[in-house]
Amino acid sequence: MTDKAIEVQRLRRVFGSFVAVDDVSFDVAKGEIFGYLGANGAGKSTTIRMLCGLLAPSGGQAKVAGCAVGANTLALRSRIGYMSQKFSLYLDLPVEANIEFFGGAYGLYGKALARRRDELIERIGLGELRRVVTADLPGGIRQRLALATALLHQPQIVFLDEPTAGVDPASRRSFWRLIRELAREGTTVFVTTHYMDEAEYCARIGLMVSGQLVALDSPRVLKDKWVPGKVLTVQGRDEKTMKSVLGDQPGVLAIEPFGATVHIRFDPARLDEAAIEQMLANCGSETLLIDKAEVSLEDVFLAVVSKGVNPSTVSHADAGVPA
Amino acid sequence: MTGPFTALGHALQRIAAMAAKEAAHIRRDPQTLAMALAMPVALLLLFGYGVTFDLEKLPVVAVDQDHTSVARSMVRSFSASRELVIAAELDSVEKGEALMREGRAVAVVVIPEGFSRALARGERTQLQLVVDGADATTALQTINKADAIASTALSLPVTTPGQGAARLVVDTWTLYNPAGRSALLLVPGLMAFILAMVCVLLTALTVAREWERGSMEQLFTTPIRRGELILGKLLPYVGLGILGVLLVLAVGAWVFGVPIRGSLLTLAVAALLFLIGMLAQGLFISVITKNQMVATQVGTLTSMLPIQILSGFIFPVANMPVPLQVVAQVMPATHFIAALRGILLRGNGLREQWQHLLALAAFALVMVVITSAKFRRRLD
Repeated sequence: MTDKAIEVQRLRRVFGSFVAVDDVSFDVAKGEIFGYLGANGAGKSTTIRMLCGLLAPSGGQAKVAGCAVGANTLALRSRIGYMSQKFSLYLDLPVEANIEFFGGAYGLYGKALARRRDELIERIGLGELRRVVTADLPGGIRQRLALATALLHQPQIVFLDEPTAGVDPASRRSFWRLIRELAREGTTVFVTTHYMDEAEYCARIGLMVSGQLVALDSPRVLKDKWVPGKVLTVQGRDEKTMKSVLGDQPGVLAIEPFGATVHIRFDPARLDEAAIEQMLANCGSETLLIDKAEVSLEDVFLAVVSKGVNPSTVSHADAGVPA
Repeated sequence: MTGPFTALGHALQRIAAMAAKEAAHIRRDPQTLAMALAMPVALLLLFGYGVTFDLEKLPVVAVDQDHTSVARSMVRSFSASRELVIAAELDSVEKGEALMREGRAVAVVVIPEGFSRALARGERTQLQLVVDGADATTALQTINKADAIASTALSLPVTTPGQGAARLVVDTWTLYNPAGRSALLLVPGLMAFILAMVCVLLTALTVAREWERGSMEQLFTTPIRRGELILGKLLPYVGLGILGVLLVLAVGAWVFGVPIRGSLLTLAVAALLFLIGMLAQGLFISVITKNQMVATQVGTLTSMLPIQILSGFIFPVANMPVPLQVVAQVMPATHFIAALRGILLRGNGLREQWQHLLALAAFALVMVVITSAKFRRRLD
């Protein structure tokens, strides 16, 4: 037995002359939360659909839960759960009816189905809403219901395509609590998102730009690699002044505006915080406020997009091509 | 998985889940139920009572130029009939035509001078009938009825065998529907219409809806097989279709006295074959269009409209131009209606109707094959 839940080799998908997924290779370990990041049209959904057996690959191979994609799709289907980007439950049916139907489709019936239904309703906190028609539920609860239906048959892997798109922050947080619980219980989670804060929850992240997987690692390593150094948030001096003072200093990597403040990124091996503070204190009279800041995945994403591929293909990624 | 359930059991269980879900959709959508059950009955009542093709008390103008007792008795026989009524007696054809132009009469009966003389001599005689042809159906019926009245009236005064032999009396005996009631003709047509509507339109809608909402994608990731999905989805509609047919048969029998003279088994087989063909057609449309709006339009254009116009439901196929006859022969509704009329009215069974059943089976088979070829479990 391998410890890999998903193995992808040179996977490729072409729509006409448009290359949606271009020679993508990666592995996902069992029980891992694997995040797939990218702009709309970068090839995230296309990858997921191929892995779920919904789209035939144009090239390459993939093995999901031990099944080669495209071969025995029926065996594959009972081992995976899928939550599509578009909300696809039946809005005219009550919460319970949706769960019961998908349970039936996954082969559950009778007492086993009733037990699993009650368990999931309890778990996603829909106890008092079980007879409510799905159309009357707010977006965040619908997403939890959709997740529950994808989990009915206790799949080894769940594929979640933008599960929190358009959902309020509180609901997103409770949704991610469910995802982390799942992973702790051993379920492999393959999730796409364009919320960078959510990506922090993932054990590893793949960054997609124009159909290519341009970076793949844990959030920590990605930050160190693409946005090295330490970051300070500075208030009290304008960007121009700082650039003139620090611009030529060895060890200063970047000076960028960040809201009302400025971010200074530096190499801790060549420069320290105290030295920077000293230099800035001497060039103005206003109160100087300096604080340590965290590198965000947003910074990584921007760095990857600007350095990783040439700019013309980057703009292509937003052109509204098939997701 | 352990237990008594075999692979077949699992398949049945998934079909049942699908059917239960579909039934829940129908239960929650009164419009679907109304369309499937109330509309057919409403149509039948409407056609049976209101839009009847049987005309009564058509106003006719009599112009008597003969002025004899025989001519008078001829005019009286027109008055005595249920179908025609003498609205006026005038002295010239022109005056009669004037009344017809105003829409107050549908025909003018002219009894020419010398009519009774010629009759007495046993010579060929003629009555003139001037008919308003603007409404072809009414005109046709008026001609038929006037013909019938005149023939009957003439056979009465002439009783001498030697004289009677000189005339050829056409005696028409209408079988199966002697009263010529429209309801008897309409019920088979309506059954076809209802089945087509329920099967093609509702099926096309329900499957197109799954595509449109994106739930088809979700279904494709479950272990439910293509055939199970289709079967489960269609079962409630088959039930609805059968219910609709029984309802129309019952209303036809109780309200309009439509008989079921022939083989019930042949009737059931014909209905089932037609049902399968129509369901497959509905599925095919939805698979091609994947859009509820377009599916409705295509469904109406390819099933309901041609059934009303081309299938012999209202207009006899034999009267159509040849290209349309060919189209009519390809349509399963044509065969279904013909078979139904044979079974219901003429008391036919498989022996007389097998060709129509064969045509229905052929259509169903072709449609099912095309549809399964087109209906892929994949999105591309």
